[in-house]
Amino acid sequence: MFVSHFTITISLVNNFIDPLMFALYTKLAMIISSGFSQLKEHVQAVNEAIGQAVIGLKNVPVSLAIIFTSTEFAHPLVLKAANNLLGGIPILGCSSQMILTDQGVFKYGFAVLLISLTQQTFFNINTVKNIKPDTSLSSGEELANKLLYGFKNVRRSLSIIFSDSLITGGTNLINGLQENLGRSFPLVGASPSDDFANQKTFQYVNNELLSESCSGIIFGGKFNFGFGIKHGWLALGKIRTVTTSEGNLIKEIDGLPAVKLYEEYLAKDTMELAKELRRISTSYPIGIYLQGEKEYLLRNIISIKDDGSLITQGNVPQNSRIRLMISTEDSRLKAAITASEEAKRNFGMEKIKFVMIFDSAARLTLLGRQKSIEIGVIKEVFGKDTPLIGICTNGEQAPLKSINYLGQTYLHNQSINILAIGDQ
Amino acid sequence: MLSFIFISICLIVAGMGIALLSKVQRLKESADKIKTLSLSLEEMDEQAKLIMRTDMELNKAQEELDKKIAGLDTLQKLSKEINTTLEEKQIFKKIDNKYLEALGFKQSLAFLWRSLEREFRLCLCLGYSHEESERIENAVNLNKDYFLDLIHNRATASSEFATDNFLTKDKVRQLFLTHSFIICPVLTQEADQGFIFVGTQDIDATITKGDREFISILANQIGQTLDNARLFEKTWKSQQELEIKVEERTHQLTQALEEVKRISRRKSDFISSVSHELRTPLTSIKGYAAILLAGKLGAMPDEIKARLEKINRHSDELMQMINDLLDISRIESGKVDMKIAGQDLKSIVEKISDLLSEQLKIKNITFAGNIPDNCQNIMAARGQIERVFINLVGNALKFTPQNGKISINANRLNNTVQIDVQDTGFGIPQDDQEHIFDEFYRVDNTINQEVKGTGLGLALVRQIIEAHQGKIWVESKPGEGSTFSFTLKAGQ
Repeated sequence: MFVSHFTITISLVNNFIDPLMFALYTKLAMIISSGFSQLKEHVQAVNEAIGQAVIGLKNVPVSLAIIFTSTEFAHPLVLKAANNLLGGIPILGCSSQMILTDQGVFKYGFAVLLISLTQQTFFNINTVKNIKPDTSLSSGEELANKLLYGFKNVRRSLSIIFSDSLITGGTNLINGLQENLGRSFPLVGASPSDDFANQKTFQYVNNELLSESCSGIIFGGKFNFGFGIKHGWLALGKIRTVTTSEGNLIKEIDGLPAVKLYEEYLAKDTMELAKELRRISTSYPIGIYLQGEKEYLLRNIISIKDDGSLITQGNVPQNSRIRLMISTEDSRLKAAITASEEAKRNFGMEKIKFVMIFDSAARLTLLGRQKSIEIGVIKEVFGKDTPLIGICTNGEQAPLKSINYLGQTYLHNQSINILAIGDQ
Repeated sequence: MLSFIFISICLIVAGMGIALLSKVQRLKESADKIKTLSLSLEEMDEQAKLIMRTDMELNKAQEELDKKIAGLDTLQKLSKEINTTLEEKQIFKKIDNKYLEALGFKQSLAFLWRSLEREFRLCLCLGYSHEESERIENAVNLNKDYFLDLIHNRATASSEFATDNFLTKDKVRQLFLTHSFIICPVLTQEADQGFIFVGTQDIDATITKGDREFISILANQIGQTLDNARLFEKTWKSQQELEIKVEERTHQLTQALEEVKRISRRKSDFISSVSHELRTPLTSIKGYAAILLAGKLGAMPDEIKARLEKINRHSDELMQMINDLLDISRIESGKVDMKIAGQDLKSIVEKISDLLSEQLKIKNITFAGNIPDNCQNIMAARGQIERVFINLVGNALKFTPQNGKISINANRLNNTVQIDVQDTGFGIPQDDQEHIFDEFYRVDNTINQEVKGTGLGLALVRQIIEAHQGKIWVESKPGEGSTFSFTLKAGQ
């Protein structure tokens, strides 16, 4: 609507490609502005959301746009409209089953976060397409290389990735990324959840609408962040051992077909379990014991094979010590608070400019009608004026904290991943 | 020495034996402890299983409860939207994706049976493309017997609860391109009924009894609203027809009234011209009679004189009648200019009292005028309103027997003054009361038979009062007297 009248100044200062332009800019701090619209007409919604964000920026040059939308908005024309309005500035984002903003959790909407960076902050965005199960490792390596291009003499701080949650081999993708970014390099990411009807998730990179891809951004220079990841599930019952597994396929637990674990605990046969698998997997995931970590690493069950093997979302190494997990609303909310507090603590004393949330779809499903309750507790930690933006995920990527894992990034399930971002 | 060594060895062996025994004992104790711990662990694991099963049941119950609350909330909002709709086409437009999703579904279709065309017509389509909905509409009509059967049996079909019918659940799934579904008849009191379908492709979704109940409530709600809309349409149509008829009838009545007015005007003109025509010769007759009576043409015998006096008297009466008729016709036709101005009612009443004092005295009739201060000023044409009083008090005098009473009372009603002329006369029968103000109407009683009258006095009174925009009426009981009341605007 009214947005078309705005002029957005394109800034290349934050892009490593043009370091000679640095002197032209004197901005001292990162400036953030966000917009959100739920208008039925998609292009009008784009106009409204970007309009809100542009007004908030008060003519400051935009460096980067983060766009999160519900699946309905995943259309080339929507992205084209956003590109036209933003005047070709770098765009990174994805579609998701639900969008998280300061105002709550929404099943439908278009959210945008416009970021104006200082001349000492650098970033690069890139993507890898057509990721197949057997190419996920090399795709990860390729994306890392693309992201690192031009960053040789710049201090790297953080990489955020958005990968299609429907691609298999997510763990390999992360391994590939870490291979080139460095095992201990902070890598945070999300696999957005789909709405189950389309069976597809979409990634946005500049003017490209992609699927079966992984897009990412790497930040460097004067940049500060802090993250926290927690789930709130607690172990219940005896410790079991994964006696046979292969990638994300658990064949045997304690020498018995893996499904026996659920049959035994829930007193249901395989058929009944298969029928209620989503509910069971959401409520009672498998927890992998990690030495030194405060919480178990969760794994959702995606499906049960005829031989009683369990397919999980993310790899489960052989000989892992596992337990069935259980949670309450209270324990999950406490986890959201702890993750937020951890992100805030890790960020340090500087002012946090915005918070990015990757919240598992399972958690939001369990919250039912009170979906926005988590947003409420997060806002209490960061203060009501800190902009929040996020998506609902089917897998969250974040480093493990304990010394045993050297800050290596792992694929998490059912967790809330909080990322606080600002200047150094 | 050897014995010492032997004893020492024995002691050592004994010591070792004791130590061994003690170790065995400790091992046994440890084994027991491990066994106990293992048992405890097993017990705890069993308890964990119980916790997990209970938790699952609780979660299920909570989920169902949440679903029910959300469903009820949605149904309440949806009902509110639908209930306010009185147009059949608009009812289904009120159901949108927002409500459907809140009820846990992503697809919905509604069909109404068109008995004339003998086919189901699509009225609502959510979650399908145009092509898909067209394909489904055709498929529904190909299997119409199944759906007519559902409607006829008032049965609800769903993916969880089997229906004994030739169309299996899988066929319904194929037909509606869905996984979980509910089909519920939309029943109406009359005319075309139909069914509503809701579904979801989510393979993990399960249809609960609660879902069926909600969709059943929604279908009932739609049915009732359809009935209301149809009834409203029917009533609206009837009202429209009635309005047309009323308009036609009003037009006819207006025309008739115009005709009546035209005739009335012609009557008034006729009376006016006839009266004028009559008055001219009557004046001559009266003049000649007067000349003759005055003896200007010579003395006349008494018998002729008596006859002449009769001619003179009857001429006067006739002249009076003609004058009254002329006045009525003038007032009716608006030819009389009513110079309405503020008048003092008290002085008018006093004047009437003076005027008729002689006759009141003869019959020994008490006359009382009770005019409160707030009624003193009235808006009237003085001459005309005096005629009203003369006529009304004159009539009262005529019909009130000896020693009776006549009173004039006034009271204020907002901007109006009501004046009552009350007598203790013979009264007027009920049947006569409604005609008493008609022209030439005379109540059939002994006095009227004895006392001559034109039957125009009260008609003239009514014309004068109506020309003042007032009202006149009579209340009377035979034997108890009459009260003639009229209203006039109060003066400033």
